[in-house]
Amino acid sequence: MATRTALIALTALALVAAGTAPSSTLANRPLFAQAGQQPDEFSITLRNAAMHQKVGMPDFLVPAGDTELAAAARSIADVLWNDIDFEREFYMIPRKSSAGIPAAPITALPYDRWAELGADAVLVGSVTRKGDEVVVQLRMIGVRGASQGKQGFGAEYPNCRMSNPRFCAHSIADDFHKEVRQLDGVARTKLAFVSDRDATRVVGRPSQTQAQGKEIYIADYDGANQLRLTANRSLNISPAWGPGGNLLAYTSYLSGFPDIYITNLATPGRALERPAQGDANAQNQMAAWSPDGSRLAFTSNREGNMDIYVVNRDGTGLRNLTAGRPEADLAPTWSPDGGQIAFISDRAGTNQLYVMNATGSGQNRLSGEKADRPTWSSLRFIAFTVGSGPGHDIAIWDFNNPGVKILTDGVGSNEGPAVAPNGRHIAFFTTRWGKQHIAVMDRDGKNIRQITEVGNNTFPNWQPAASR
Amino acid sequence: MAFSTHRLLSSALPVIVVVALSACVKKPPVLATPPPPPPAAAPTVTTASTTPPPPPARPPEPPPIPTEPPVRSNALLPWNDRPIEEVNGPNSPLKPVFFAYDSDELDDAAKKILAVNADVLKQYPTWVITVEGHTDERGTAEYNLALGDRRALTARNYLISLGIAADRLRTVSYGKEFPFDAEHSEGAWHQNRRAHFMLTSK
Repeated sequence: MATRTALIALTALALVAAGTAPSSTLANRPLFAQAGQQPDEFSITLRNAAMHQKVGMPDFLVPAGDTELAAAARSIADVLWNDIDFEREFYMIPRKSSAGIPAAPITALPYDRWAELGADAVLVGSVTRKGDEVVVQLRMIGVRGASQGKQGFGAEYPNCRMSNPRFCAHSIADDFHKEVRQLDGVARTKLAFVSDRDATRVVGRPSQTQAQGKEIYIADYDGANQLRLTANRSLNISPAWGPGGNLLAYTSYLSGFPDIYITNLATPGRALERPAQGDANAQNQMAAWSPDGSRLAFTSNREGNMDIYVVNRDGTGLRNLTAGRPEADLAPTWSPDGGQIAFISDRAGTNQLYVMNATGSGQNRLSGEKADRPTWSSLRFIAFTVGSGPGHDIAIWDFNNPGVKILTDGVGSNEGPAVAPNGRHIAFFTTRWGKQHIAVMDRDGKNIRQITEVGNNTFPNWQPAASR
Repeated sequence: MAFSTHRLLSSALPVIVVVALSACVKKPPVLATPPPPPPAAAPTVTTASTTPPPPPARPPEPPPIPTEPPVRSNALLPWNDRPIEEVNGPNSPLKPVFFAYDSDELDDAAKKILAVNADVLKQYPTWVITVEGHTDERGTAEYNLALGDRRALTARNYLISLGIAADRLRTVSYGKEFPFDAEHSEGAWHQNRRAHFMLTSK
């Protein structure tokens, strides 16, 4: 498919996203491979997603004596290993297993040692300083047979920051997956979720009920850098990222009733937007952005029962899509093309999964399972919660093979799925580790990873594109 | 206007204890159709006859020491002098009602409690309250937000049927987010499946 070996530099786009200072050094820089080099068998297998090659990653090489740089290099290697492992395009040999193999330059790689571990290739990194910046070089080198010593990928990332090795690694991982597998990785995306970990006392609420404030938090997709976004000592739930990755809509009770607020992470301190214009008699929640960001679908009780509404971002064009029915309709999610909305309705007696056109026409039930919180994936499936007992599980409705497939295994209660922008991963919250915690798994239900460890954590939502 | 009346009557407290106490608890009602403002001296008498049914008739003969009546009169509307946080505290005169699992229907016990709450609201005609719908932790978050919404509405509608003005009754659903009891037991779940009545303004 691709006709040349990898010649990469970190793209200008990625660096702008990183918030790095604009610089003239952002231009693509062809590096290690010679221009015009022919694709060899090794580089072709790298592009074959059906081949799950075993890949080792030795410690990155650093100039002797620079301990600060060595620490950054260790972080970059660890995070990069994790990022590549996360997408499961390669079988990553655990770093512990290869700890005994010394780091070595390309010219002196101990191929036999790597072959002993079953490695098909190694990712060899080196880190140097250039002024205030950290320069990372990464190459993928074949280990065995005819591909031994051949380079399948090679790139230099000149603008890494000593202060942010994690972001450096995430940027490299996304670039690597894009180049080698034509895959949009999610290493730079974030998760938003709700937590009571700070146990704030809710303003104006007496002690007769447990009323710990719940605030919106943001974390890297792998759980690092967990930060609180809201601090209004109220109930804040249902965060929903806008398509560009900077806007976040959420439901807050800070006025005494639920309404939808939008904050812009790129312009902190600006007034919050309230496109649904709620009041005590028109309460709004469960916002979902249209894929182009121009509209929001949400749930409101303003006509006496819960219905699905859409409204333009500026508050105009309000429409009830499920008017004329006394039953509850809630939890909308847009199809990737913006033409349809899936939602939950109890019009058949219990909450079930429905789909309709974004105009409200053509309302049809998809599944008779007791269901909640659908999230439409870019990979032609809808993730949602099923189960009628005390416990719930995450399931998908697969349009390619219509039917319900349950992904979680009945351990604890699992709910609130949110799909990664590349469709390959699902975040949800679960009681399997005691309290409520955010977890991430692959879309086949494998590789469940715990993201939060403190407090109760609910309502995950996956950033659709990396922000700053 | 309301304030000056109140202050005037309060200042009468040392002189006429009985009148002052009953006046304190009687702020001008903020109803949809307020009565025309009466002359300054009259309001205590006129509003007294329109507000709640009076306690057992007092002996007409002038008692030598008026200690007994003021206490009872005070007990009738004691909450208006308390901060809202205290009214909404553990001893709130507005009692929660409880629901069966996955249900928004009012059983007889719930209706009895609502009747008592309606009486309280009739005694305090200025009160605006918020009916909170809550659920237990079973069921998904969004589902429970809808269930709590229905519970709050059911309780509100019943209070309206008992004669409480609709504009005094707000609703809000907290779903399963604010449990009364955070344990994971049938006992806790029972406590958590409730409509709570919170004073919003006096």
